[in-house]
Amino acid sequence: MNRAEWSRFATMYRLLIRSSFRSRMQYSFNFWVGIAASAMINAVEFALLAVVLNRFGTIQGWSIAESGYLYAVLTLSKALYRSFASDVHHLEKYLVSGDLDGLLLRPAPVLLILMAQNFSPRFGEMLLGVSMLTISLGAIFEGRPGLWTAIPLTAAAIAAGAVLMFGIGLLTASAGFWLTRIEALQVLTEDAARTAAQYPLTIYPGWLQGLLTGLIPVAFINYMPALYIIRGTHGAWTLGLSVGVAAAMLLLSLQMWKFGLSRYQSTGS
Amino acid sequence: MLFYALSRASFNRNLQYRASHLLHNVASAMFGFIYLSIWTGIGETKDLGIYGLSGLVSYVALNQCLLWVTSFTSNGLGIPQLVRTGAIATELVRPVHLFYQLMCREWGQIAYQAMYKSLPIYIVYLFAVPLRLPALSAAAASAAAVVCAAYLSICVQYLIGAAALWTTESSWFQWLNYAFSTLLSGFLIPIEWLPGWMGRISRWSFYPSLSYIPSRIYLGYDGIAAICPSLIWCVVLTLVCLAVTGFMRRKVEVQGG
Repeated sequence: MNRAEWSRFATMYRLLIRSSFRSRMQYSFNFWVGIAASAMINAVEFALLAVVLNRFGTIQGWSIAESGYLYAVLTLSKALYRSFASDVHHLEKYLVSGDLDGLLLRPAPVLLILMAQNFSPRFGEMLLGVSMLTISLGAIFEGRPGLWTAIPLTAAAIAAGAVLMFGIGLLTASAGFWLTRIEALQVLTEDAARTAAQYPLTIYPGWLQGLLTGLIPVAFINYMPALYIIRGTHGAWTLGLSVGVAAAMLLLSLQMWKFGLSRYQSTGS
Repeated sequence: MLFYALSRASFNRNLQYRASHLLHNVASAMFGFIYLSIWTGIGETKDLGIYGLSGLVSYVALNQCLLWVTSFTSNGLGIPQLVRTGAIATELVRPVHLFYQLMCREWGQIAYQAMYKSLPIYIVYLFAVPLRLPALSAAAASAAAVVCAAYLSICVQYLIGAAALWTTESSWFQWLNYAFSTLLSGFLIPIEWLPGWMGRISRWSFYPSLSYIPSRIYLGYDGIAAICPSLIWCVVLTLVCLAVTGFMRRKVEVQGG
């Protein structure tokens, strides 16, 4: 794609997002309660971990502030991914109902349209993530230098994490072109893997660590960058590798999406 | 007879999706391994009280198996969809109490989930964790506690579903219930370890009946007497469900399909 095409798609995406947002705001109460509820669910998930850490202090050497950092980076990455590519996660309903056929007829890339459908900015999760990140970074860097370096590096890690999560989500969605029903697969590759990434990787047995760094590489969303940014036990290469893994996953998923779409057959229901 | 017919129909309907549910089981077992790893990580260096590492690991593993019976019941027992389509009006005029017929169907669903979801995960955990086997008396008592937990879950879902008659936002009650259940049922952390105020709220709610009580009885930390709060909550919530059905029958507004 050349620069003119990129610019055309960016303009189109902005337009689609704007109209999607306007349509969502027809039910504004529902919209805002949804945002608050998803933030609450995330807060409760972390509260559970905080209760455990509050009682036992650390988990394999990771303090409550460091665990909070892992959780915040993960939450912000997910919030970005789900805000800007909402219905990639809900491809199954388009496949089952046959609604994807209608999207194929539109004069724009299907993926772009799907990303802009039902635009739902995760303001609640973003607010929660930023608050937790602020508190965690404040506690981690209290009395030690490096805070001002950690902030931009964390922003880079969050952006790479969002791309990686999008890649994993798109790859799973692409499987829908062959399987149609992908909800169970999504529970495994997105929900279970994300839950695992909430905790330090070292608590898991070897086979699970291998799974989370190799097959479903969610460890590169938060754990690997954290080893450099807040723990300082590893070099900057962990952050570089995380960005590389995110880029590779994005390319792989885009190729798989393209291939899957070319094999798409409508369910006709 | 009606109980058997409705629950069997629900059970048989679920049988069609056995293959797809197998993948759910893999994901569910993985969630369990994640939670077990947290306690293994902590238990290596910290004292885990009367439970010890093996007891706590068994406790969490068992809770993960029981989720499919005691927590993952149908959202609102399907009432929100009935309200949306208008079919609730027909359901309410049937010569069978709405709560009873929806409960019968849900027992079929629960029986299916117990057999095809909880049991396979339980067997995996027996060998992989390993999850402790109970004494015979403890097994019988905890089975009774699990039945109470499943019934309580049905009641709660019925009340969440009933809210759909008065608000289009009944799914938020579902989320609220999920949040409270995660924190207060003792699913991941025994409730005596919750911070003071949270522990007090938990003890005065029905949530420990869903995870904490059945698992403690199974592992032999409590006797059959521990089931009493569950029984009391079963009676209380049944009365609430019946009262709410009375309100539902007074005036029905559907969402127009």
